[in-house]
Amino acid sequence: MSDILEHLRKEYQSVPIPEELDLIVNRSIKQALHTRKAKRLKVKGMTVAAAILVFLIAINASTTVANALASIPGVERIIKVLTLQEFKVKDSNYEADIKVPAITNMENKELQLGLNQKYLAESKALYAQFQAEIEELKKQGLNDAHVGIDAGYEVKTDNDTILSIGRYFLQTAASSSTVMQFDTIDKKNQRLITLPMLFKDDQYIKLVSDNILAQMKEQMKNDDGKIYWIAGATDYISKEETFSSIKKDQSFYINEDGKLVIVFNKYEVAPGSMGLPEFIIPTDAIQGDLVSNHYIK
Amino acid sequence: MNRKSEQILTNCITENKENIYRLAYSYVKNKEDALDIVQDSIYKAMTSIELLKDSTVVKSWFYRIVVNTSLDFLRKHKRVHPMDQEKLEFYALGAEDSYMDIDLVRTLADLPPKYREVVVLRYFEDMKIEEVAEVLQENVNTVKTRLYQALRLLRMKLKDSSLKETNG
Repeated sequence: MSDILEHLRKEYQSVPIPEELDLIVNRSIKQALHTRKAKRLKVKGMTVAAAILVFLIAINASTTVANALASIPGVERIIKVLTLQEFKVKDSNYEADIKVPAITNMENKELQLGLNQKYLAESKALYAQFQAEIEELKKQGLNDAHVGIDAGYEVKTDNDTILSIGRYFLQTAASSSTVMQFDTIDKKNQRLITLPMLFKDDQYIKLVSDNILAQMKEQMKNDDGKIYWIAGATDYISKEETFSSIKKDQSFYINEDGKLVIVFNKYEVAPGSMGLPEFIIPTDAIQGDLVSNHYIK
Repeated sequence: MNRKSEQILTNCITENKENIYRLAYSYVKNKEDALDIVQDSIYKAMTSIELLKDSTVVKSWFYRIVVNTSLDFLRKHKRVHPMDQEKLEFYALGAEDSYMDIDLVRTLADLPPKYREVVVLRYFEDMKIEEVAEVLQENVNTVKTRLYQALRLLRMKLKDSSLKETNG
């Protein structure tokens, strides 16, 4: 009997495995995970929103808390940025450090909450994406792949009129990529400043772009080590990929001197070795199109 | 907790994907339907992972879903299972030497599902009696009895066919 069973077992196992099995299995898992995630985020989104509310109420309701956080004596409320939450993972191969900024003490609570929620949501998404990537690597058996993520923020400017926060997302895999995003807040009027808002019309796009192009050329002339992807500078980049104009809502901040600073992400206008190029735009170059010299001096 | 079970289940699925395909195949006997069952089972398992209370029994839990999905499928598509192209060719071209094998396969396939599944799980999937009971949601003694009956049936059928062979 046992050899008959053995025979049957062999027969059973000789059922050919179709090629598409792998594909179907992986796709089904992914789809199911996706459905699950969608469900989970719904619930989580609500708890997160609730958590932020509680946190902000604590800051705004208790002067002790607010003072401690703003580290300034008195009852005066000062808009500040502080680290709300930090996600951390540290493994021999995987490393993540995500700091979530939170803005406090704004009178325009709607804007404050909106910004803080955006920060938290983006950090969460980033963290989830990172975890998914690790899982994927582990699944593929690539246990010694090194990946890391580092996200945080820096306060670029904090004076009486404005608060500029830059948030960076640094991803390390084989090579690293960095993305930087900025928010500039008008402290007095309690509103978010956008690039088009600073100008009377769309002329600024050309004014700023021309100035940057001139700066790029100047820098390349003076320093052989600098490369920007602009027409005529390199022959290995196709024409469509060369930089000719900034986007209408290009990343920017306003520095301590009240100058407009345009920022590009890694690989956006130059090779990775150039990092995140920043260009300070002389106010003279854009004066004609500025709405006022309230923000930009 | 859920994330962890998700991971455990995902691993279990990927490790056993060929086995569950064969298990599904043993019910529906054709590639397309077996693949459909694999797909449905994964989706069902992943989206109802909250129902898995103890992650150490994930394998039998998942197999149970595959078994139930297969049985549901057969119930819905009540029909005599058609032979797929591969099998037809196999039979048509069958060399003399392979008669014995075909008989064996048919012998197993001819067993009523409740007997066939215990044989498949116990002997081909190398599960313990307790696990088989878990998968089939029967008690251990029922599984033992069925297994015994299944083996007896197999033996009888084989005797029949070998008799026919010598007579024919």
